[in-house]
Amino acid sequence: MAEIKEKKGIDKILKKPITAGIIIGFLAALVQGLLFPAGGPMAYGFCVACHTRDLVDVIWNNIFGTKLFAAPISTAGALPVLTIIGVLIGAIVAALIYREFRIKKGNAKSCIKYAVGGFFFMICALLMGACPYRIALRIGYGDLIAIFGLIAIVIGVFIGVKIALKKMEAK
Amino acid sequence: MDALAKETAIILVPIVTIILGFIIGWLGQRSGFCSIGGIRDFILFRQTRLLKGYIGLIVSAFVFYLLFSFLIPTAFPKFFWLLQDGNLFTAIPGAPAGLSVAATIICMIVGGIFVGIIGTLLGGCPLRQVVMTSEGNVKSGFFVIGMIIGALIFSAFVLGWVVNFFGLVGI
Repeated sequence: MAEIKEKKGIDKILKKPITAGIIIGFLAALVQGLLFPAGGPMAYGFCVACHTRDLVDVIWNNIFGTKLFAAPISTAGALPVLTIIGVLIGAIVAALIYREFRIKKGNAKSCIKYAVGGFFFMICALLMGACPYRIALRIGYGDLIAIFGLIAIVIGVFIGVKIALKKMEAK
Repeated sequence: MDALAKETAIILVPIVTIILGFIIGWLGQRSGFCSIGGIRDFILFRQTRLLKGYIGLIVSAFVFYLLFSFLIPTAFPKFFWLLQDGNLFTAIPGAPAGLSVAATIICMIVGGIFVGIIGTLLGGCPLRQVVMTSEGNVKSGFFVIGMIIGALIFSAFVLGWVVNFFGLVGI
């Protein structure tokens, strides 16, 4: 009983996004401290877009013998960064333990919309050379160019909110 | 402290990153951490819950990069190069290959705006989409599939186009 209570106490803290943000920042720095000798780039501790790209490209390169770009850290050894697989496993385990796993189906139209959205999202994110997370890490690392990225994202969100509100009004 | 030997670090890459991913996936599932969602909630509702998480990430990344750069200096080259060589706008490696500073900033702004728009309209940044996939959301699963295809297309074609474009324009 006491154990469950304690678990709930920790979970209460972990449920705050600020805790998650601080821990992710710490881990990203720690990972760079550990793994930087394997190959750069800098401020690469955690990035959803780039780490997915590395994983996909390395697999593709291995199967088809192509030479798609992947970060040095992913091409140094036999295996690339596996962060995204870790995220999928971690989230599914947490969702199962806390009984928040629910299959939510979408209709075909919305699925296609999401797939196309993901496609263009990835291209734009890679064009930036970072997803919003790596932008945060790069700013933390002192990369002033990343600040332009953050400002652009804020502008983009602003436009997105305007579009969403207009759509709602039209309905 | 010395950084790890290169061979050790290379072996550690997949192991460390999958553990990192697991923790981030867990945290992301518990807290609903979302960077774009944070900015969106602030613009729409003046809610700061998620935004605090993102700001926490930037601050904590800075603090721990600073801390670890004192502990293991060799693993953190060019940390705040602004202070080191007075070179204000130098892109850190990992931005699209070999572009000039001006071109990188243009990429950042164009990419960032679309990342913001798509992220807002489809309800989340990439981490949130990956976490929602693990929670059983089929639509987010399609987003992730779109991201994977986008990564391949970017590396195979778009990156080359971008480099050629800036070569032609002469930026």
